[in-house]
Amino acid sequence: MTGPLLEITDLTIRFGGLVAVDGVDLRVNAGEIVGLIGPNGAGKTTVFNCISRFYQPDRGTVHFKGRDITRSGSHEIIRFGIARTFQNVELCRSMTALGNLLVGQHVAMRSGVIRDGLRLPGVGADEARATQRADEMLELLGLTRDRDHVVSTLPFGLQKLVELGRALVSDPALLLLDEPTAGADKQEIQGLADLIRRMRDRFDLSVLVVEHDMSFVMGLCDRLYVLDFGRRIAEGAPADVRNDPAVIEAYLGEPELEVTEV
Amino acid sequence: MHWVRTRGRATAPYGLGLAAVLVIPPLLNIIPGVAPGYVLYLVSLALIYAVVAIGLGILVGHTGQISLGHAGFFAIGAYASALLTLRLGFPFVVAVLVAGSVSAAIGFLLGLPALRLSGPYLAVATLGFGLAIPQLVVWQSSWTGGSSGLHGLPLASLPLGAFTIVFRTDQDYYYLAAAVLIVLTIFARNVVTSHTGRAFVAIRDSEIAARAMGVDLVRYKTTAFALSALYAGIAGALYAHLLHGISPEDFTVLLSVDFLTMIVLGGLGSIGGALSGALLLTFLQNALTRLPVVHDFKNLYIVVLGVILILTIAFFPQGLAGIARNSRLRWATRTLDRPAGAGQIVELGERSGVR
Amino acid sequence: MLSVTPDILTDLPWGQLLVNGLALGSLYALTAFGIVLIFKTTRVITFAQGETAMFSTFVAFTLLTAFQLPFAVAFLLTMLFAGLFGALIERVVIRRISTTTVLNPVIVTVGLSLILLGAAGWIWGYEIRTFPDPVVGPPYHLGTVVVSQLNALIFVVTLVLMTVLFAFFRFSPTGIAMRAVAENRMAAQLMGISIGRMNALGWGMGAVTGMLIAPINYLDPSMMGDVALKAFAAAVVGGLTSLPGAVVGGLLLGIVDSVVGFEVPELRNTIAFALIVLVLVVRPGGLLGRHETKKV
Repeated sequence: MTGPLLEITDLTIRFGGLVAVDGVDLRVNAGEIVGLIGPNGAGKTTVFNCISRFYQPDRGTVHFKGRDITRSGSHEIIRFGIARTFQNVELCRSMTALGNLLVGQHVAMRSGVIRDGLRLPGVGADEARATQRADEMLELLGLTRDRDHVVSTLPFGLQKLVELGRALVSDPALLLLDEPTAGADKQEIQGLADLIRRMRDRFDLSVLVVEHDMSFVMGLCDRLYVLDFGRRIAEGAPADVRNDPAVIEAYLGEPELEVTEV
Repeated sequence: MHWVRTRGRATAPYGLGLAAVLVIPPLLNIIPGVAPGYVLYLVSLALIYAVVAIGLGILVGHTGQISLGHAGFFAIGAYASALLTLRLGFPFVVAVLVAGSVSAAIGFLLGLPALRLSGPYLAVATLGFGLAIPQLVVWQSSWTGGSSGLHGLPLASLPLGAFTIVFRTDQDYYYLAAAVLIVLTIFARNVVTSHTGRAFVAIRDSEIAARAMGVDLVRYKTTAFALSALYAGIAGALYAHLLHGISPEDFTVLLSVDFLTMIVLGGLGSIGGALSGALLLTFLQNALTRLPVVHDFKNLYIVVLGVILILTIAFFPQGLAGIARNSRLRWATRTLDRPAGAGQIVELGERSGVR
Repeated sequence: MLSVTPDILTDLPWGQLLVNGLALGSLYALTAFGIVLIFKTTRVITFAQGETAMFSTFVAFTLLTAFQLPFAVAFLLTMLFAGLFGALIERVVIRRISTTTVLNPVIVTVGLSLILLGAAGWIWGYEIRTFPDPVVGPPYHLGTVVVSQLNALIFVVTLVLMTVLFAFFRFSPTGIAMRAVAENRMAAQLMGISIGRMNALGWGMGAVTGMLIAPINYLDPSMMGDVALKAFAAAVVGGLTSLPGAVVGGLLLGIVDSVVGFEVPELRNTIAFALIVLVLVVRPGGLLGRHETKKV
């Protein structure tokens, strides 16, 4: 495939008088793990929400696989091949882990109220196929034991894993991860980095990660973008970005600044 | 075998229910001192309400929407069927199906503003709808019969090739209502345990997640509204022919509240719950008025009903279905049995009503 | 030159309709104010506002007729009763219900309204009575517009009450504490404000404001039905989180109701609610409310 997988050009998003994202350019090439970092309130999640089409940009475009998705509906994104996780885990709390992974395959199911209500032929086969795929993903993530547990009863770390599984099960080309380390401890964070790399290799993905934890992205990402106050202030390989004076200054006000590599 | 085991546990109550339905009329004829005709009429009414409750339950319990105006759809179904049979000579079956379709179409339309509204705002919008329908009926009294209503509806009948079944007696109508309920229950159960049902629940639990997973909210929310309206419409048609006549006063806000009460009492998110809630409330409302109390019956029944509602929410927030589920779990763990497994959607309604 | 405005609009006695509408709207506004107040403090949407008002009205009626108390005294005593009654309801019932869904409060407050309805019917019976007129005398005339004594009283009471409440919420420590609870329950609690007491106060005031519309001509247990329904709708249209919104919503609805009631009385509720739905679709959080969107 020629050209970048995801290309964001001159993205600007305003909320009332506040400019949350200001003329941001960003691209993700096939097979890359790209990090989007910056201090709190820099606009990182806002960019994500724009890609996912929950927010409307005031200016700029978003192209995915060459297609302009700037005005697409939020439920169409996954069909194009973009799946995401959320900062505040957005699982279907009353469902089991399996149930959530079945929801994640919504676009692969040929569901309709008449079809399902009358149990037309094909419904059972779809369901079986989806269940099998979900079971495989659960096993891959080590979640088989919690397959039939309602997710609201699971510890936060496992919930995040379920959400990751739900995103992966739709066979995306691009995975958006929103602060995957939030709420995780040191050991879990290390495991996460490995996991993401493995998933990228196994499923031939590209990944865009929003992160707050510098050490996490240093070891994981091929390239970094740094946002501050909605603007892009740096871009490049982790080693370069780490030493960029603008980046250091942006983070100087931050209480935790661990720039040691994982 | 595993399939049979999991199926068996879930469908056992329905099997029992079916058996009960078939057994009631002959039983009533045996028991002395009971007027079988009236009881069957009452049961038929309860079964008709159960149809509404099931549809409403899918909208409210599964999809997480709210409707304070479902009496409106009930009325649309009733009036559509009444007018088609009385004024245009439509056969009963066709009239019922058309009535249901009209109601479903209007339900779809009502689902559209519902896309922007939620919670109390949606409640008010649907409330307005429910209030408007009877008023519109009175306004167009020239062809709807106005406030005096429509009367003398033809008997329900079902043409089968050479001969026709006419549902003349209370017992006949009971079997009709039961048959319709059974069919619609099966359909509802299929929907709810399928991927469509899963999409509904996803919308209820997290609209954001649902959208990100590709669930088209427009399509699924309007479908939920249309489906619940379809059920209410068919039930309304059956109601009209059960009573042989209708008037706008039959379809007040209180009826809409009754429908909501049924599904809350029975347990949100459960079809069996909607069924039992409808049966329970219908019998409560009628039985309470017959309690041998010295003071004014009417007042007592109202007060007792209010107390029951409050106590249920306070102590049994998950309704009858919750009670059943807890008993089942307790029984299951008692015998160290494993709860049902593969691919079954966990029964929902996980709302705690007590702080 | 063709007239653009249809006759239907130019032939209306606008002045009179406005006055009548504002009077009616004041009733809606007061009741709606109580509903919003209760919602803000306890996050419960009460469907029992009408019945608590009706019940208090019957109490006032008894004080006036059986005990022959003068109007002002009866009025004040009833206010006290309403306040305590509301606080009691909050303490005994409301406190125990979870507000995660809209449905639980709906059913519980409906249950409450049934209990009050039945109790009122049992205590006082269902015959329609006339409530003694609080004011007697000829109506006032402002040009072509006629303002009845009763309407004038309603205006005065509403105005006074709104001013008092405004000052209360703005300047008094208790009022500010209540606002704190309404904005952020946990923070208020951490600041040492008693949530329970504020809740009870909210319910009490809600009951009082509803009851103030009592002296309308007839009195029977179902008197408040239509008013409460409209007041509820007005509260929602104004924006459930906005007290001024409740007042604005109530007044506007009163005017609309009055105009529609004059022109097309058969479709009164239909048009009123159609307009309400229109407002909500355009502004999903109500006119003055904040549309609470979930943060992604």
